[in-house]
Amino acid sequence: MKYVKKIMFFIFTTAFISCNSNSDSKKIGLLYWSSNNTEEIEFARYIVDNWNKEHPSAKVVFQPVPEGQSSEEIILAAVVGKTTPDIYSNMWEGDVELYARAGTLVALDTLEGFKKFIYERCDSAVIQEVTSEDGHIYQLPWKINPVMMLYNTNIIKSLGFDKAPKTYSEFFEAAKRFQKDSDSDGYVDRWFGYSEVLVTWWQRFFDFYPLYLAASNGGSLIKNNRAVFNNEAALKVFEFLREVYKRNYFARERLSARQDVFLSSVIATRFTGPWEISHSEKFKPAGFEYDFQTMPVPDDHRGSTYTYGDPKNIVIFKSSPNPQLAWKFLQFILSEENDLKFLEITNQLPRRKMIDENPIYSSYFLKNPKMKTFAEQAKHVKGTDQSPVLKEVFDLISQEYEACVIYDKKTPKQALSDAEKAVNLLFLK
Amino acid sequence: MKKKITPYLLVSPYIIHFLVFVAFPVGFSIYLTFNDWNIISPMKFIGLSNYKRLFNDAIFWKSVFNTLIFLMIHIPLQIIIALFLAELLNQKIKLRGFFRGAFFLPVIVSGVVVTILWQQLYGYDTGLLNRLLIKIGLGKVGWLTDPSWAMPSIAVMATWKNVGLYIVLFLVGLQTVPLQYYEAADLEGATHIQKFFKITLPLINPTIFMVVVLSTIGGFSLFIEPYVMTGGGPLNSTISAVLYIYKQGFFYYHMGYAATLGFFFALIILSVVIMQKKFVEKDK
Repeated sequence: MKYVKKIMFFIFTTAFISCNSNSDSKKIGLLYWSSNNTEEIEFARYIVDNWNKEHPSAKVVFQPVPEGQSSEEIILAAVVGKTTPDIYSNMWEGDVELYARAGTLVALDTLEGFKKFIYERCDSAVIQEVTSEDGHIYQLPWKINPVMMLYNTNIIKSLGFDKAPKTYSEFFEAAKRFQKDSDSDGYVDRWFGYSEVLVTWWQRFFDFYPLYLAASNGGSLIKNNRAVFNNEAALKVFEFLREVYKRNYFARERLSARQDVFLSSVIATRFTGPWEISHSEKFKPAGFEYDFQTMPVPDDHRGSTYTYGDPKNIVIFKSSPNPQLAWKFLQFILSEENDLKFLEITNQLPRRKMIDENPIYSSYFLKNPKMKTFAEQAKHVKGTDQSPVLKEVFDLISQEYEACVIYDKKTPKQALSDAEKAVNLLFLK
Repeated sequence: MKKKITPYLLVSPYIIHFLVFVAFPVGFSIYLTFNDWNIISPMKFIGLSNYKRLFNDAIFWKSVFNTLIFLMIHIPLQIIIALFLAELLNQKIKLRGFFRGAFFLPVIVSGVVVTILWQQLYGYDTGLLNRLLIKIGLGKVGWLTDPSWAMPSIAVMATWKNVGLYIVLFLVGLQTVPLQYYEAADLEGATHIQKFFKITLPLINPTIFMVVVLSTIGGFSLFIEPYVMTGGGPLNSTISAVLYIYKQGFFYYHMGYAATLGFFFALIILSVVIMQKKFVEKDK
């Protein structure tokens, strides 16, 4: 009966949202849902207050996305209950295609001035990334949190390195030197890194996927409803990670429920995003130093090192009676000045081109040098491919990842080939 | 006329509740099994495709197999431990009330809290169990990371969590056994073990059946433990049928397929319970 609780929760959430009708937004101009973390609420409040001061006849009401197991679930419930807001910021890029195909989102490229705006804000690769299969753009690139390699500076120095490892060979060498059986019980209890071993699809955003993007110079997983990941880059990533687990450089057990293993120096590296900065600053022990670096790449890698950007974008729902006004409000949110405010309040990167070189943001990066590393990385980040079955694609890859990388039950070639077949079958349905 | 309406009015709250919360969801679920529906797009009639897919879905059958493995470990273990402890707690021992409360405590603790606690005990490098094994000179066991150990580990944890409830049921059963049977057996010189097998066990048979049925139905709904502890891994060795149905429905929004799996799984549960009932009736 335990799963019934989950289903009941879903039903009640839907009911709750249904009861919470859009009457407010009908009385005024727009209803805007933001993410519900403290910093983004503060930012949304700042934006809405300023907008309302300047536009008293077109007021915006802001509300954090209602509490639930995940914001994705709440948005889904709102779509089903036809109680969507006019605007939602924090839409995961991978979800957009599903909603776009269901006809619930406004094609932003049909709005006046959109194209000019997006070409000013983003480079062509980003625009291509957010363009749906039908050729329209349903999401406005808003923010990114690139996944990079966090490392303990003191440990790297103590291992005899000037800088953190950049290639697979360097990674193996550093890992070999760091790995230790501290209590001499015959088992390793100090690992070079850690990544969640759970098979849950989105866990691959913190190991396989950013490493694949790094090795393939930002390659795709799927294209034209076909799997395109069974290639040299993916093979190298699977081989690298399998070796990492085989040599016990990463723990196979879950370390996430205990004291922070990075801050307690049980591990020396972790693939993570800029949110780690505020956490580390708050909880790090005295003398602890850390920094970030690009994801490790194959030894023969050439070119820039890409990674996963974890992009969250803004959408306008078709339920909005005034999409043109919503679009005007979006331009206000995404102005250079408000992007700076967003950066200052949330420590998340606005997704705009050359942010690391734009003088408006230089004083922020001077005060927050670690964020500058992420801003530099921002030139080489990728989101996800546009597909309504993206979660299943990641799930199928994750199943093979587990069998090959973590438990060594399949060769990397076999695992990738099986994942490719399974994904292609998905598109045949 | 008034006489005819009043009884219907009196039962109407139940009838309305039944229609809205039981009949409609069940009927709608059955209708869904013939459709492809991702909640937000219109439903598409696909005939028996979901059923065809079910029979070829290796992970679903693996999840059913895993659930049966769980039941095969969990039910006997639960009955033996619960009966043993109930027998002890039925004696006049010191602090009996305290022990009865202590054994029941895990039942009222949140399932998520219990699983997180046991995750620490089962930890490969830092877990208490492996530390004990090392102390006595044995090797570590991958309680949750070794595919052959993961499901038995979950079954042991679920037994620990639920055993208190079944102790209470067995205590009730034990207290219904007339004392004169034991007095007569004492006069005949029967040992404690003989009394247990010849008097206690046959007389608490209905309680045992109830415990088996309740544990079976409870065991078939295994969800929180693998969801929190292993996510269904390693290598799908702990993915339970309900967890798989949940993933299909709420991860991938395959509502039609999830309904088909749920409907089919309900039939499996029904068959098992009928078989258990027939077995017990035959035994009588």
